[in-house]
Amino acid sequence: DPQKYKFRTMRQNLIDASDVLDEQIEIFTKIIQEHYNLSPNQFSDPTIQSQSEIYTVGRIVPDSPTFEGRLNTESIALETSRILGIGRRVRLDLSNIKELSLFCGQIVGLRGKNANNENFLVDEILSLPYPDAPVSTEEEIKGFQENFNNETMKVIVTSGPYFSETNIDMTPLIDFVDKINNQVKPHVVIMFGPFIDLTNPLISSGSIPTFPNLKIQPKTLDELFTKVMTPILKTINSQIQVILIPCTRDALSQHASYPQDSFDRKQLQLPKNFKCFTNPSTFQLNETFFGCSNVDIFKDLKEVTKGGETSSRNRFDRISEHILQQRRYYPIFPGGTRNVKIDKEKKIFKHIAGADLEVPYLGLTEFVGNVTPDVMIFPSEMPRFARVIQNVIMINPGRFIKQKGGKGTFAQITITKPSLEDDKLTKMENDDESVYLHNVWKRARVDLVST
Amino acid sequence: NNIDALQPLETTISDMERFKDATTLDLHCPNCSSEFPFGGIVPSNHYLMCYNGLQCKNCEKIFSTIQLTSQLESSIRSHISLYYAGWLICDDITCGNVTRQISVFGKRCLNDGCTGVMRYRYTDKQLYNQLLYFDSLFDREKNKNQEIKPLYHEGDPDFPTEKLNDSSIRALSEQNRELFEVNRGVVQKYLSDCGRRYVDMGSIFEFMA
Repeated sequence: DPQKYKFRTMRQNLIDASDVLDEQIEIFTKIIQEHYNLSPNQFSDPTIQSQSEIYTVGRIVPDSPTFEGRLNTESIALETSRILGIGRRVRLDLSNIKELSLFCGQIVGLRGKNANNENFLVDEILSLPYPDAPVSTEEEIKGFQENFNNETMKVIVTSGPYFSETNIDMTPLIDFVDKINNQVKPHVVIMFGPFIDLTNPLISSGSIPTFPNLKIQPKTLDELFTKVMTPILKTINSQIQVILIPCTRDALSQHASYPQDSFDRKQLQLPKNFKCFTNPSTFQLNETFFGCSNVDIFKDLKEVTKGGETSSRNRFDRISEHILQQRRYYPIFPGGTRNVKIDKEKKIFKHIAGADLEVPYLGLTEFVGNVTPDVMIFPSEMPRFARVIQNVIMINPGRFIKQKGGKGTFAQITITKPSLEDDKLTKMENDDESVYLHNVWKRARVDLVST
Repeated sequence: NNIDALQPLETTISDMERFKDATTLDLHCPNCSSEFPFGGIVPSNHYLMCYNGLQCKNCEKIFSTIQLTSQLESSIRSHISLYYAGWLICDDITCGNVTRQISVFGKRCLNDGCTGVMRYRYTDKQLYNQLLYFDSLFDREKNKNQEIKPLYHEGDPDFPTEKLNDSSIRALSEQNRELFEVNRGVVQKYLSDCGRRYVDMGSIFEFMA
């Protein structure tokens, strides 16, 4: 519900924040109980000594509150919920575990024993169940087929920045619009911010040139968008639907925290084929569910890994599985920060940006309806990729333009129309009505194209 | 009686007191790259408010409006982002734990046995006051009445050698009217979204629900 993102920012309450952090543990306690068929009394407090083996649920945290930097297997603790262990934390002894991947903020279920009152010896990390995939009824599928004259649905995904850190040149954006209007002709274009990145040194140091083509020069960054970028975006064919998703580094949004409210289309002076969505957002294009989140989780999630099997896997796959298991678009806590060194000798750092989590509202970053989207898009500074993980298509389209102005990339997704005949949809027998899994991963193709 | 125990109203506190912890707006000259704090229409060895705007004293370049507003907006946003980094501090001075960890009991200190109370190190009140300070820099009335928090104190190495007289300050405030309004607009964009500015009626009337 987009209305829920319209809260006022810059007033976090510590109690509200901790309520949400406590609730996260509680939610997963129920999920784990149901999945493993355990009764509530099999779960107990891991922070106190006991003779017998117990099950427990909590959040992965560092063993010291002042710990900074990278965790290792010796420095991990578990935080309990208020109910289970009155919020106490206990060090984890992970010497019995051969394969693991843990990160700060992760909710885990554990089996083990606290024999010495000092640490909890873990015997098993319970893997969390993946949430269900979305389904459609036969009737709905037929409706989606009719929406299509074309055989395939074509979606283009781009992620800012859209101009470099060396000059404010719009040629790449102009060329892109020309390309989608005349060659690609997609149904939908999803554009992620930042459109005007406040951490771009040209912007933050005020090194903005005059624009010789403009009669009236922009006076603010908002006007820089409406006078310089809006005219280009307006030339996108009005048959193409464009979705804009903001970024917390975007000058165009006064809502500078995540979860983040959508842009105001009228303020950006964009025509009606533009839709402004929240960050994160979940939406449906035809039968396909899209999940989009614009905080760089693939950069920020720093795991502690152990075991050859775990470490030999692709890091993006491991992180994707964490996202799906945690059922939240950004399960890291505390969120990532970006600092710059302002004094090399004294090692003084200045905070410039971060995940900017609005902790009391993190509930809005959970998967909607406890269902995994068919396609999930997470723009990241890490190398671009498109992979299928647990039958979900995970995409990082890559930056539209490189820092120094080199060509970047965008993603092109083509999905063949759903058909009840070609056996690509899986029929699920329900009590009264049969429904179909979308199996978008079987019907889609993702290309990462140079801009 | 109870009234004596009440805190003074926020609105009755003077700007000097309110802005004592506010940090300066540091500007960068897009032409010669010199850096200096901006403090409204006040004397400075680094910049001059002239009839056509803000001028760097080092290279004599006059900033275009966006060259000033973009730096103001970047400054505001880095303050907001620092606020959202969520650093907490323990109020027990023998502990003084500084962390970004939050206990499921938000105010409880995570150091063993410490009974101190955790609070945000960068509070929403500080952030709000920081925004109000930026707003005051471009407030024509406050500039005219010379009510802006001074950048320098006598004895500072950078204490300006020249002074500005009252009538030129007044004239400059008028001549830079548009520039100041545009900058104030940028600050207001964020003040309008700032939760602290609004009374939470829900919590006041909670007892009736």
